[in-house]
Amino acid sequence: MGELAIETVNLTKVFGSFKAVDGVNLRIEEGVIFGLLGPNGAGKTTTIRMILGLLKPTSGYVRVFGIDVEKRRREVLRLTGYMPQHFSLYEDLTVEENMRLYASLYGMGRAEARRRVEELLEEFMLTEYRDRLAGKLSGGTKQRLALAVALLHRPRLLIVDEPTAGVDPPLRRYFWEKFRELKEEGVTILVTTHYMDEAEHCDRLALMSRGRVVAEGSPLEIKRMAFGGDFLELEVEGDPTPVLEEVGAKVVDSEVTGDFVRVRLLVPDAADYLAPLTRELERRGIRVIRAYPVSVSLEDAFIKLTAPIEAEAVAGCRR
Amino acid sequence: MSALTALIIKDIKQLLRDPKSFFMVLMMPTIVMAMFVMGYGEARGAIPVAVVNLDGGVVSWQLIEALKNSGNFKIVRYAPTKELGVELVRRGEVYAALIIPEGFSECVLEGRSTQLVTVLDSAYATVSELVWEAVVVAVQGFLRMAAERYGTFNIDVVKETVYGPKVSSVDLFTSVVMGVLLHLVPMSLIAVSISRERERRTFEQLIMTPISSGHIVLGKLLAYSIVTVSDMLITLGIAVAILGVRVRGSLIDLTLVSLLLLICSLSLGLLISAVSRNQLQAYQTAIFLFIPSLLFSGFITPVELLSPAARAFSKVLPLYYFLRAFKNIQLRGWGLGDVAWDCAALVVEAVAFLVAAVKVLRLRVE
Repeated sequence: MGELAIETVNLTKVFGSFKAVDGVNLRIEEGVIFGLLGPNGAGKTTTIRMILGLLKPTSGYVRVFGIDVEKRRREVLRLTGYMPQHFSLYEDLTVEENMRLYASLYGMGRAEARRRVEELLEEFMLTEYRDRLAGKLSGGTKQRLALAVALLHRPRLLIVDEPTAGVDPPLRRYFWEKFRELKEEGVTILVTTHYMDEAEHCDRLALMSRGRVVAEGSPLEIKRMAFGGDFLELEVEGDPTPVLEEVGAKVVDSEVTGDFVRVRLLVPDAADYLAPLTRELERRGIRVIRAYPVSVSLEDAFIKLTAPIEAEAVAGCRR
Repeated sequence: MSALTALIIKDIKQLLRDPKSFFMVLMMPTIVMAMFVMGYGEARGAIPVAVVNLDGGVVSWQLIEALKNSGNFKIVRYAPTKELGVELVRRGEVYAALIIPEGFSECVLEGRSTQLVTVLDSAYATVSELVWEAVVVAVQGFLRMAAERYGTFNIDVVKETVYGPKVSSVDLFTSVVMGVLLHLVPMSLIAVSISRERERRTFEQLIMTPISSGHIVLGKLLAYSIVTVSDMLITLGIAVAILGVRVRGSLIDLTLVSLLLLICSLSLGLLISAVSRNQLQAYQTAIFLFIPSLLFSGFITPVELLSPAARAFSKVLPLYYFLRAFKNIQLRGWGLGDVAWDCAALVVEAVAFLVAAVKVLRLRVE
């Protein structure tokens, strides 16, 4: 187990009478891509802002690489790069001016700043825009610039808030490739998104709903958590029920057409079950026509996991 | 409900729900009027004048009594010679010296015509006018009263000024125009600077770098100083070169005093910026803070005419010190050493505003 890049303990933020973040405990290990997933208003941005010390928690605390953010924020900032949800660089400065400014603010010397800026202009395909005002850039180019600035000081931790909101698919892919590369270099990445398909790229996920973390784990673990296992689908000739009961596979759905039966099963682990189950059925003389794992989307898992909370909240409002 | 009504109700609701707007809209007129009443109401102050009684006779003391009762000015000094009386005016300790000539009582008793010489400070034209009018009224009252006792005689009230015969209105207004330009303009300009960063969200990225609030405050102060100092030089240049404004003191001293006000105004503006949540609020606060300066810094009415409470209040206004120092250099020809206290006050205020701005500015986005 590696060092903890981020640790939040009972992190809570109350705005007036609204609990935006409610007792969030996160332990994010160094070197992973950690996704914070949830719909708008779930408290993702507020959580991130507290991690960065941009907001003061109402209660609880945050440590980044073991450093208390409240007390020693400046040390944390040197290790952390941040790309906010909305473009936050100076629109009336050029691409290069913005980068040079931030290089200076991070305390880089003139020569070092020049070298690093050139490097990033190249890496993020910004060289041709270097003299253009940031305000005149297209949305995608702005995003690339924002990421480049967040990486200027070679942070060990990169925090990106909805980097792909309103970004076209090729650029979304580009961003995720970048995140992979950075991970290879040992950078820890905390990324928020409400795109469930993107969340599949993360090593670990925390699902947020109404200020609380409702589930945490790898994408696979979260899906299993939501449904209590994996889904398999079988098409057989004959009655598979006795065998299924023996191996402990739960029938979720079945459809009988003459001699043919199609069943959907819930098993603890699809990969472990598929081959043995098929063999056993064949051995008992039940012909297996097709057998395959059914992929569930994170979205399904998410909806399943958050439904009780949402229902409770709605009921709470009515009361 | 018509669309218009709906809009009106919506806007009123929004105004009332924003505490600061509410304060501005409803409380500001109240506060300003309260200030006005406080400053210009019943308990007004009096203009300090000196009396030079070269006569010393009974009638001269009766005249002094009559002058005392005029209420508009107050005799704070008695000088033995005319030269000393004029010197008091020149040094700015009094706004006028009233000189009763030798043989005054004799002339009155003999029914002859005599003089009361009023030496006025032309650097403060408004005050001088007021003193002059009050003296004329007091003397006329004295004439009527004394006529019953001593028979008919006449007193000519003679006007003399310390700084040459005439100070043009352009000369007099220069300090006021410079005051507005170097106070309200830079203050409101810089007041929106930090709140603009907040509104445009650039603040969020900026404070992710390991800089302190001191960096932000000083960075803005210096940037805006550099930009606005050219404005100041242009304004002063136009006043002197094109309008032909007379400067009796040194132009360099005048520039230095102006620079101090500029920095003080920017510092106050930064403090406003540090506490404001958005640009509109910052603008409103800057303008709101300018109102007391307008009323109490000697801008419209000489500070001496204000009530004691308001006069004490004017001592916290940067513009009060600036106007004093500027007029004294420009119109009276004083040197920087003579206005050192005013300069020191400006420096102290600027530092206080800056320190407060650094302390108040939170490197957070809430």
